Amino acid sequence: MLLSRNNLNRFLAFWRHFSGANAIHLVLVIFGILLVWTLISHALENPDRYLPSPIAVALSSFDMVYEGLLPSYFGDTIGRLIVGSIFGLALGIPFGLILGINRTVADMFYPMMNFFQSISGIAIFPIVVVWFGNSDKTIFIVILYTSFFPIAFTVLSGVREIPMKYIHAVRTLGGSRFQIIRDVLLPGSLPHIATGSRLSIGFAWRAVIAGEMLAGREGLGWMIFTAQDVDRTSEVILGMLLIGLSWIILDHYLLRPFEADTIERWGLVQR
Amino acid sequence: MPAKLVIQDLTHHYPDEYTGESVHALEKINLKVEEGELVTVVGPSGCGKSTLLNILAGLLPYREGLVTVDGVKIEGPGSDRGVVFQEHAILPWRSVSKNIGHGLELRGAPVEERKQKVAAFIKLVGLEGFEDKYPHELSGGMKQRCAVARTLCADPVVMLMDEPFAAVDAQTRITLQEELNRIAIATKKTIIFITHAVDEAAFLGDRCFVFSARPGRLKAIVDINIAREKRIWSEMNVDKEFLSSRDEILRLVREEVNVAIEE
Ligand SMILES: Nc1ncnc2c1ncn2[C@@H]1O[C@H](COP(=O)(O)OP(=O)(O)OP(=O)(O)O)[C@@H](O)[C@H]1O
Ligand SMILES: [Mg+2]
Repeated sequence: MLLSRNNLNRFLAFWRHFSGANAIHLVLVIFGILLVWTLISHALENPDRYLPSPIAVALSSFDMVYEGLLPSYFGDTIGRLIVGSIFGLALGIPFGLILGINRTVADMFYPMMNFFQSISGIAIFPIVVVWFGNSDKTIFIVILYTSFFPIAFTVLSGVREIPMKYIHAVRTLGGSRFQIIRDVLLPGSLPHIATGSRLSIGFAWRAVIAGEMLAGREGLGWMIFTAQDVDRTSEVILGMLLIGLSWIILDHYLLRPFEADTIERWGLVQR
Repeated sequence: MPAKLVIQDLTHHYPDEYTGESVHALEKINLKVEEGELVTVVGPSGCGKSTLLNILAGLLPYREGLVTVDGVKIEGPGSDRGVVFQEHAILPWRSVSKNIGHGLELRGAPVEERKQKVAAFIKLVGLEGFEDKYPHELSGGMKQRCAVARTLCADPVVMLMDEPFAAVDAQTRITLQEELNRIAIATKKTIIFITHAVDEAAFLGDRCFVFSARPGRLKAIVDINIAREKRIWSEMNVDKEFLSSRDEILRLVREEVNVAIEE
């Protein structure tokens, strides 16, 4: 998927987009931020503790890569994200579909879903820790819980938004209930499934970081949390940078293409 | 031989859950449509034309009266009655040929048969070269032709059309009307065609049912005795029979529109 032809085109378009004036603007903004950052850092009495300069952060990243810690933390975090959100989506998509298709089931479960949706992943953490301790299992459950609701709600509303005329049309063509689900409700809600997945994985990404901090399992979240304890602020900043950058890459090259492809292919949005 | 489609004493009220008052949409409709006939239905806006069509399609349950196709009571949608909706309801996630072959696919027709028939109908409605396009890549008129082909390809006994050409421009509409006339000749389908446009009603119909303002009643039936082969616009524009039928329908509709406005 990451290496598809479409992605290659997107990659090229991205760089074409950022050549010329756009590239200059982007470079200027980044350069500006680094400059301000450096200036503030130098003005401080104890920059190593409060705000190490960009160069100090870069140096610490070399160290950590050299020691093999950074790649291993990074792998831990990404692995948890993938496993947790795959399960979250695998449960949330069918659940949302069933609720969208069947009013009675929806009326039964909707209040409960709304109730749990208001309790964030962080808020269920304590009870999950009581059950499973500070383990990978705990983080996994929190990610699954966090990614479940956005996708389930999006799919539910997606199914409901499908115009009645499509359902009527297939009924008058002789379609059975099952055929209507297969040929109308499923494909009709695919754009919502795509949007919802992106939303869910975004929530899951934050949950992994928070989960690692609270459960004390190795990973990027744990890295910034423990680095703070021992005053290694440069590692804290490095971790934050990595969290933000990995999300941009994941979102731009995997999630958005999937969303755009399903939506644009059928002309469901005007571009 | 009994008529293809028979409507007896059909009355319909829409209940209103909020006010408790109901909307009286249709009042004691009695009419028959013969096999292979193309009838048009005209009437003022809101007189219950779409209501009638939805009942015939089986999408709207009715309680008073009886509607039968080939002597069998209508009790729900079925592939014996094909519908072309006012807003073409072709599926955006299916290509043109997949949309057109959908009816056959749903009833499990063999792939070979499907391919053949789809190709034939694509040709009939002039969509060659657009087989693999998606609906959003088609013009309004092409979408409408795709919808017509989809309904035809499912091979219904009766075809129900609800103002199918209302949303396309005048030029395309004329072409589509002539095309539908050709299709009626080629397939000899029983067609019920609802329209606002009096010209269209006279051009396409073997007979035209004129409805009164709401609650819709069958006000008059206008016969249009013109051979289908003769029905092309360049000739109809100067055809005496056509012009007099059209004026007759126009007069009847005008009366009703005035009633509706005075109310
Ligand atoms: N689903 C519905 N619920 C309640 N009332 C309805 C419903 N559909 C239609 N009506 C009412 O029934 C009457 C007939 O509506 P219908 O859509 O059949 O008219 P129409 O003849 O098709 O009009 P038009 O030519 O404007 O399409 C209208 O007064 C309308 O308000
Ligand atoms: Mg109508």
